[in-house]
Amino acid sequence: MTRALLVLLCLLALSAPALSQAMQYERPVDTAPREKDIGGGYTTPEVQKPLPRGAWLLILDFALLGAALAASVWLTIYKRSRRAVVWLSLFSLVYFGFYREGCVCPVGSLQNVAVALTDPNYRIPILVTATFFLPLIVAALFGRAFCGGVCALGAIQEFVLIKPVRVPRRLDQALGLLKYAYLGAAIWFAIQPAASRDFLVCRFDPFVSIFRRTGFAHMYAIGAAFLIGGMFVGRPYCRYLCPYGGLLSWCARLAPRGVSITPGRELDCGLCNDACPYGAIEKMRADQAGCLYCARCYRSCPVDRKESGLIAIEEIRPA
Amino acid sequence: MTPRILRRATVLCGALILACCAVLTFDYFQTRLRAPAEEARIAALQKEVRQDAARAAVLYAEQQRITRARDARNARTQRLKWVLIALSALFVTGAKRIIESPGAKPAPSKLPTQSSKTTRRPIPRPVAGSNGPPAVDLAFVNEVVAREGTGPEAAITILQAIQDHYRYLPEEALERVCEMTAITPAQITGAATFYGRFRRRPVGRHIVRVCHGTACHVAGAREISEQLRRDLAIPDGSDTDPERIFTLEEVACLGCCSLAPVLMVDNHASGKLTPAAAIDALDAAHPREPA
Amino acid sequence: MSLRATRRATLKGISRAAALLGMSGAAAFLVRKAEGRVVWQIDTARCINSRAGEVGVKVCDLCLKECVVTQSAVRAVNEYSQCGRCNICPAYFNVTSAVSEKGVPSEKLCPRDAISRKPIGEVDPSDPANNFYEYVIDEAKCDGCGKCVMACKEPAGLGSIRLVVRHNLCVNCNSCAISTACPKDALTQLTVPESISASSRPAHSQS
Repeated sequence: MTRALLVLLCLLALSAPALSQAMQYERPVDTAPREKDIGGGYTTPEVQKPLPRGAWLLILDFALLGAALAASVWLTIYKRSRRAVVWLSLFSLVYFGFYREGCVCPVGSLQNVAVALTDPNYRIPILVTATFFLPLIVAALFGRAFCGGVCALGAIQEFVLIKPVRVPRRLDQALGLLKYAYLGAAIWFAIQPAASRDFLVCRFDPFVSIFRRTGFAHMYAIGAAFLIGGMFVGRPYCRYLCPYGGLLSWCARLAPRGVSITPGRELDCGLCNDACPYGAIEKMRADQAGCLYCARCYRSCPVDRKESGLIAIEEIRPA
Repeated sequence: MTPRILRRATVLCGALILACCAVLTFDYFQTRLRAPAEEARIAALQKEVRQDAARAAVLYAEQQRITRARDARNARTQRLKWVLIALSALFVTGAKRIIESPGAKPAPSKLPTQSSKTTRRPIPRPVAGSNGPPAVDLAFVNEVVAREGTGPEAAITILQAIQDHYRYLPEEALERVCEMTAITPAQITGAATFYGRFRRRPVGRHIVRVCHGTACHVAGAREISEQLRRDLAIPDGSDTDPERIFTLEEVACLGCCSLAPVLMVDNHASGKLTPAAAIDALDAAHPREPA
Repeated sequence: MSLRATRRATLKGISRAAALLGMSGAAAFLVRKAEGRVVWQIDTARCINSRAGEVGVKVCDLCLKECVVTQSAVRAVNEYSQCGRCNICPAYFNVTSAVSEKGVPSEKLCPRDAISRKPIGEVDPSDPANNFYEYVIDEAKCDGCGKCVMACKEPAGLGSIRLVVRHNLCVNCNSCAISTACPKDALTQLTVPESISASSRPAHSQS
């Protein structure tokens, strides 16, 4: 109480001569008053402390990632349904893209993993580790199922593809090498000492600013450029720049299973070749390293369409 | 939704997207351009307040105004961004529909089969020679038999030669072959009816092979055939038009499914057909008489 | 299957097994290293103290401007146990404004009016200056501009108001944009052992 009185006196002395002026401010106390000084049965309230996203939400994220990967594998390799893959992509775009705001994404996490593997003081959450390795392991077993229905960056490009233009094969291959250069640069900048560390992939992520509806102007510009280009060139970021796509395609080369176009029942008609906007069908066979698991080739395939009951073949009457 | 409305809606969406982008860009640059002036004003006010505390009210009001303006702008931008995302989704959906619609690339099932444009009255084409079955000159049969021999093993070769010459297997020619060789009428009828390539009826001057393989079937081969039959006025049960210019055949595969639907006029193939394009292909092979 | 094809299949199988093994090994290493969850936190003690005459920046509002979340995931929080409960709080009032007839500064500091105050304890209604006040920051209004935090720092205040990263809002970016921009390296990554996630009671320094 004495302290409070002192404060009062001090304040009065300060404020009296200069009512129209600002007061000469001076800190009235040196320590926080205790509960018993305040009196009146006052108890210090608890500080608001929302916790990090609950552990169960992290587990949910991880479970959804796993489920989406499993669904992508099942829908592309076994069910062979383009329509279902489109729905899965839509879910991924909404959940991993717009709801989770593009975080954690395996594309960016490769930098964290690179840093955590090289810097002994740098740790990454378990979810990041899982997000990075799970799609790679799936790729080593079933191919790039992650790219097809799970990746939000892929999904947004998948949806804007309106009129695919065939990129000349030579050019396609040459541009495809860019992603390895980008991968190298991303790792190089990430493993620098902490002070000069830079996460290139995140800095120039084309779509994350769209998912978050906020970001720097250059990110919007890059995103818009990729989306407008993506209307005519199938998934330009995935094919030419995505560094994680480079890792995935290495793993996918080792996969024992993958997208196959009506194995053993081909007509060799080449319709699937025309339908693939990513130039991933070579000599009527899906190129495991380049196939993005969009399932478009199935939709174009007469044999598949017949088997799924979309068309019926009638016998032709003799001439 | 009719294609017309769809097209208009898509164009409208595109225009709105551009408008949204323009507003956002304008907003962005306006903020960027105004920021230095606002900061300078705040700094100046802060300086004034240090000398004259009464000016604090102005500074405070100015800060409040800037904060409120920023909040309002952020809220507006956020709403606009959602609208932009929704519009983009609509635009992309609409554009895809338009591109996949029959107008751009004909989907066979949606083609008008009875429109006035496609059911033209057959226009007479110039025909050399008479309309009736050609008179059969059996001298060629004698030649062939003399060249190929008279044993049963020569039957196919003889039939091929006869078909090459007469373009079908005339009844008289076959009878003549039986008379001249050891081949029985039963054998020769068997061979002539077994192989699809042999024809027992006179053909037109051009043979049109419409592919009905799986890929072409999917891409609308049936519409092509039907359209050609209508255009050439081929009677039911026949495969040749009355003027005997074109003979229509349905074949299993021409080996170029990626061009489906495909047809061949004699030895010239045309692909990615529409019914109208098929008629054009026939016209190219045998132009119509000017009406 | 020809010999060459068999050999290729075997090689592929071996490299696949090696890749899977390598990836699982790296993943296990990283999981063991993680020891829980890693989150971003701000060390407000390191923040620029404009009250103590630190110069170089006009007013630091990077936590507001840089965060990728729409309304920054950084919020100001009053640590009540360290709050002086002053009548004239430099973080609540704009102490440079003119004094009103009530004897307190006429204007508030927070541009978003996110701080509220009420007298606590044994309230003396006749003399407002003789009371203790509790200052509560409305999370929903706060956008982490840090004005109140700077105002509460030594020597003006006791430094009870701090900036915290709201982990329920933070998307836990790979590289936090604020940490990249922060001139004082005030943002650090903190490993939260999974065991704490249940308790939310702040640790009191006083008994």
